[in-house]
Amino acid sequence: MTEIVSYARNVDEATQLVEVANVDAIICGEERFGLRSIGNICFEEILKINHFLKRRSKKLYVLVNAIFHDERLEEVTNYVEKLSDLSVDGIICGDPSIFTILQEKNIQIPIHWNPETLATNHETLKFWQDIGVTRAVLSNELSLDEIIDINQSLAIPIEVQVHGMTCIFQSKRKLVRNYYQKIDDDWNPEKIRYVKQTKSDQTHYPIFEDRNGTHIMSTEDICMLRYLPQLLDNRINCLRIYNIFKTINYNVQVSRVYKEAIKSYSDDPNQFHQLIGGWEQQILSIQPSKRKLGTGFYFKEQIY
Amino acid sequence: MKKPELLAPAGDLEKLKFAVHYGADAVYIGGKQFGLRAKAGNFDYEDMKEGIAFANRYGSKVYVAANIIAHNEDLTGAEAFFEQLADIGIHAVIIADPSLIRVCQRVAPDLEIHLSTQASVTNWRSVLFWKHQGVERVVLAREVTMGEIEKIKEKVDVEIETFIHGAMCISYSGRCVLSNHMTDRDANRGGCAQSCRWKYDLFEDGTDETVNVSETSELAYTMSSKDLSMVEHIPQLIENGVDSLKIEGRMKSVHYLATVVNVYRKIIDTYMEDPVNFHIDQEWIDEIWKAAQRSLTTAFYFKDPSEEDQLFGKPEQIPKYNFCGLVLDYDGQTQLATIQQRNPFKIGDDVEFFGPDFYRFQQKITWMIDENENSIDIAKQPMMKVKVKVDKPVTYFNMMRKQR
Repeated sequence: MTEIVSYARNVDEATQLVEVANVDAIICGEERFGLRSIGNICFEEILKINHFLKRRSKKLYVLVNAIFHDERLEEVTNYVEKLSDLSVDGIICGDPSIFTILQEKNIQIPIHWNPETLATNHETLKFWQDIGVTRAVLSNELSLDEIIDINQSLAIPIEVQVHGMTCIFQSKRKLVRNYYQKIDDDWNPEKIRYVKQTKSDQTHYPIFEDRNGTHIMSTEDICMLRYLPQLLDNRINCLRIYNIFKTINYNVQVSRVYKEAIKSYSDDPNQFHQLIGGWEQQILSIQPSKRKLGTGFYFKEQIY
Repeated sequence: MKKPELLAPAGDLEKLKFAVHYGADAVYIGGKQFGLRAKAGNFDYEDMKEGIAFANRYGSKVYVAANIIAHNEDLTGAEAFFEQLADIGIHAVIIADPSLIRVCQRVAPDLEIHLSTQASVTNWRSVLFWKHQGVERVVLAREVTMGEIEKIKEKVDVEIETFIHGAMCISYSGRCVLSNHMTDRDANRGGCAQSCRWKYDLFEDGTDETVNVSETSELAYTMSSKDLSMVEHIPQLIENGVDSLKIEGRMKSVHYLATVVNVYRKIIDTYMEDPVNFHIDQEWIDEIWKAAQRSLTTAFYFKDPSEEDQLFGKPEQIPKYNFCGLVLDYDGQTQLATIQQRNPFKIGDDVEFFGPDFYRFQQKITWMIDENENSIDIAKQPMMKVKVKVDKPVTYFNMMRKQR
């Protein structure tokens, strides 16, 4: 069965994503353990969301995908034990330290393996499958053909991002704050910032800092709505929507459109093709003007 | 206390020979496939054989970096590649992608595997995980601090390699795809366009108005790291039990390579001989600066890097020295050194000769002839051979440099 999984920043958003958009699963997390959650969710909120989702037979995946340094290893061990006690449906991880923690503590919990840029071929993902992960979250810099090949080689499901911006850079350094220091200007951590290649007018790369370092995001928002049939026909079933720096309304409406489109395609492919224009219009009507929509690397060739 | 290995880059066969001559215990090279330095000379199998034979004569080892993050199509040929490396006597391979680790373990079980820094290993538990997967050595992420290294060595019995010198990714290595997005070139397969070091405008994105922060400053936004140098802190790394000290730079010149290897060789040997009376010699630091290409930093080893550890604004006027010539031969009777020109020099120039074991002396160029034994004032042509009168003996592989 196809799954639409969306990020939530709080209980309210999780509720709306389920009740209005009817998504199948929610991702959320806390900055100390997870990367680029759209809101820094404390454990009490996770409890509430988990409780709510269980009643609705929806799934909860929690972000534990930070690159850990020694100081956080104990905290993360406790955190994972607590999540296991909650029986969340999965934790999203990208640092291999997690496997030694699970083994030592004898914790059984589904692992969604998300090493960001490092999940790029079928043999690598078979390696992680053999280690015991239950889902492979693929890198965003892959073509549709590569994704299809990987999917066919694996026994575990793969997850790909179908909507929103993607992370294209992570540094441990405080690269925004450092710049303000350098130019002797006041740095307000609350502000949303972006960088542009000096001579190019069209780009818009959001950049932000948190306790995991500095993150730069893609200039376009992926929108694979029109190409859902190609994903679904190839049984690529876990589809992620990631709307950081967007309103709750945007996130809920986009998620709703994807869910409707998937249902429509499985009910009647002809109907999907009649309705796709309208759905795209709905997304365009709420799309921020600075953010172009695109198809990421799905149909792009890379050189090296 | 264990004497660590000094590991140097070798972009081609010539550089390999220089690295070994100047004291590297091991060198790492790239093959024609699977390496991240698509633009370095790189080695075919014949060059590798010659490189191994040369290195072995001096008791040095040769590693091959096969550190790409592979896509499906790249896996073709991997089996043959690792089989071949094992056959010709490569000592170890440096790998980041688990798919290649698997292939290597299957077809070349005796080939040592070193996990590349591209895998961003930052804690002892990750090190332990990779040890269990059968890797012999872990190259730590550049974000790991001195204290964390100590902890890792305490907790896990596996070889640890850390970078001590050279250029650095400002991101977690491997976690940056700026090039992919800005130039369609795959950074993790050797296509890195160094987009981090470009100039950008930084905007504060308001709902009503957007402010271009960079516009109000003379300095564009950029993310360029100073180069790493641990020249003053090698003893601490040795005391913490680091097994291999790595110099970055398969693309760097022979002059850079010889200079940097020479200094670290000297430091390691001096410390190991007499740790108690060891002190940092200012000469070593001065020497490092002669080849430096950017300002230097200790990055994450002792503190969180700040703006002081980054480069902003106009490029710095570094390096301060030019590599002018390579000594090919020397005649003790006539005191004439045969020199292959690498940058122009002329009569009246004050130059410096240097060689392995920290051999160095200053020299004024007073007399020079070309290959036809005609007296000349200036050595202008690249690679031309000239003879120069020198006050002290020199040998093949010695080098001549000049302050700019």
